[in-house]
Amino acid sequence: MTASGTPSRGVIHDLGYRPYQGPRLGEGAIARALVVTGLRNAFGLGRSGKSKVLPFVLLAFNLLPAVVVAGILVFVGLEELPIGYARYASTTQVLLGIFVAAQAPVLFSRDLRHGSITLYLARPLRAGTYALARAGSLLLATLVFLLSPVLILYVVALLGELDVVEQTKDAALAVVLALLLALSLTGVAGLIAACSTRRGFAVVGTIAVLLVGNGLVSAVQSVASFEGADGVGEVAGLFTPYSLYRGLLDAWVEGGGVTPPSGVGMEVAYVLVLVGLSAACLAGLVVRYRRVAGR
Amino acid sequence: MTAAAPAAGPTTAVVRTEGLTKHYGAVRALEQLSVEIGTGVTGLVGANGAGKSTLIKLLLGLVAPTAGRAEVLGHDVVTAGREVRAAVGYLPEHDCLPPDVSASDFVVHLAMMSGLPRVSARERAAEVLRHVGLAEERYRPMGTYSTGMKQKAKLAQALVHDPRLVLLDEPTNGLDPAARDEMLGLVERIGRDFGIAVLVTSHLLGELERVSDHVVVLDGGRLLRASRTDDFLDATGALLVEVLGEDAQRRMGEALASHGLVVRPRRQLLAIDAAHGRPDLHDLVRDVACDLGVGLVRVQADHHRIEDVFGTRGAAS
Ligand SMILES: Nc1ncnc2c1ncn2[C@@H]1O[C@H](COP(=O)(O)OP(=O)(O)OP(=O)(O)O)[C@@H](O)[C@H]1O
Ligand SMILES: [Mg+2]
Repeated sequence: MTASGTPSRGVIHDLGYRPYQGPRLGEGAIARALVVTGLRNAFGLGRSGKSKVLPFVLLAFNLLPAVVVAGILVFVGLEELPIGYARYASTTQVLLGIFVAAQAPVLFSRDLRHGSITLYLARPLRAGTYALARAGSLLLATLVFLLSPVLILYVVALLGELDVVEQTKDAALAVVLALLLALSLTGVAGLIAACSTRRGFAVVGTIAVLLVGNGLVSAVQSVASFEGADGVGEVAGLFTPYSLYRGLLDAWVEGGGVTPPSGVGMEVAYVLVLVGLSAACLAGLVVRYRRVAGR
Repeated sequence: MTAAAPAAGPTTAVVRTEGLTKHYGAVRALEQLSVEIGTGVTGLVGANGAGKSTLIKLLLGLVAPTAGRAEVLGHDVVTAGREVRAAVGYLPEHDCLPPDVSASDFVVHLAMMSGLPRVSARERAAEVLRHVGLAEERYRPMGTYSTGMKQKAKLAQALVHDPRLVLLDEPTNGLDPAARDEMLGLVERIGRDFGIAVLVTSHLLGELERVSDHVVVLDGGRLLRASRTDDFLDATGALLVEVLGEDAQRRMGEALASHGLVVRPRRQLLAIDAAHGRPDLHDLVRDVACDLGVGLVRVQADHHRIEDVFGTRGAAS
């Protein structure tokens, strides 16, 4: 039908079907493309205008204290940072919790609710790879949320000519803690969102687990500390991502705190639970999407 | 007429199944299916629950067979599912479009999910959206689309990575007659002009007989028939005769039977099995009616509906 040769440029009529002869990338490249698109989607980019509002408002509020600190530096000058790098996330944990709870469904519920998951699974990407790529997007989005204030504070500290070695060490520790926290939040919020196609349930469920759970643990820790039963408080701290983060923050960075993990054994336990929780949730996600694929 | 197919031997099979079986608990969705599907357009026909979608999911390697095996484009669907999915396009029967994304963005994204680099994905998406006939609306969120536009977007994503085979699960579902004709026209072009093998399902044989070169009929998970569409129509095409007069139907039936014809009453009609191809059948019917003195109301070729195929099977077994 198109044997008469390639039509010359500028001809309007039907050009006929042209086969694709270019490269076809492998699973790794496909997964990377999915991670990047997912990261953009988590901030509402490439989606409708109103889906950008919530993530960017939350991000702005989250950055506000860091911007204020920068302002103080410019106008007053600083002897030390008024808030520690790692403490920052603990202070803005409610914003972080809402961000993760609200954006996890964007990555994990939408494809299930609208059936578009079928179109992904009918392509070369395996179900498990799809699940991990989605988790990768949420992890990166959470890290953007957690690390951008750390970056602002760090720049402020350097401009304020604070001790570079000390600041770098503190900031690096904050990055490690942020990574642990982001992994566990991604796992928990992702798994809840992947098991609920209704966005509302996922948001409420995640907030309940993260924030309400943390509130309960904090209450137990206060009572335990008051009653002199610190051990109980330390064990209670193992039960939610935020309390695990706070415990390690107290133990490694700042000292003090209500019932921080005492001794190396307990600190290791805190780290292991954070990592184990993340791993378990990611495994749950992989299983969940393999099930979906087999239907 | 069959220019694309090699002259001798079996045509290069795009799909080949052997004893392919899928049970969901007690439900026998597919039972011992052995079939070969070649290039061109193949219609997969069956009533609701016949196992059409199950076969497609097996061919995509999405569900594991209970027994038997299947090869698509030379790849085993169980051990090489990824190779199969890289070379196959799929239009699912149910909704699969996110409402807040434009067809343009979505098709580009899915092209990348099939491994095309971003720049090529953009080019291909624009091209296939033009081929399926989505114009300016491609930039609108798909939630605002009519059913016809949604089916076109679904078709575009199935074609965007230039597959060698597309599996279209009820692409005409929910379409009005005009949109259905347009969709069937597209299906025909994909198979004939684009050079992509097509397996397209429907529960209406009549709908697919126009566009498909081959037809595979499933019934209750079993293969009822697989043949060229032409053979199919010749073989099942009975001649329907309506006669008028005193006890006319019974007398006419007996007279025709005495000429060695297979005749069955169907409501007020007589269905003559024309499978053995008597070229003088029309003349014979006219003469017999004349001899008997019954009024010949009409003689017409049977409409090839799926029910007739089932009727044939029922009579044969
Ligand atoms: N995941 C599943 N679990 C249990 N039973 C299933 C499942 N999928 C399909 N079935 C059953 O298998 C049989 C064949 O279903 P299938 O969807 O393949 O039919 P179909 O020919 O596509 O029908 P339709 O025209 O309604 O789409 C049906 O009885 C159906 O109920
Ligand atoms: Mg079906």
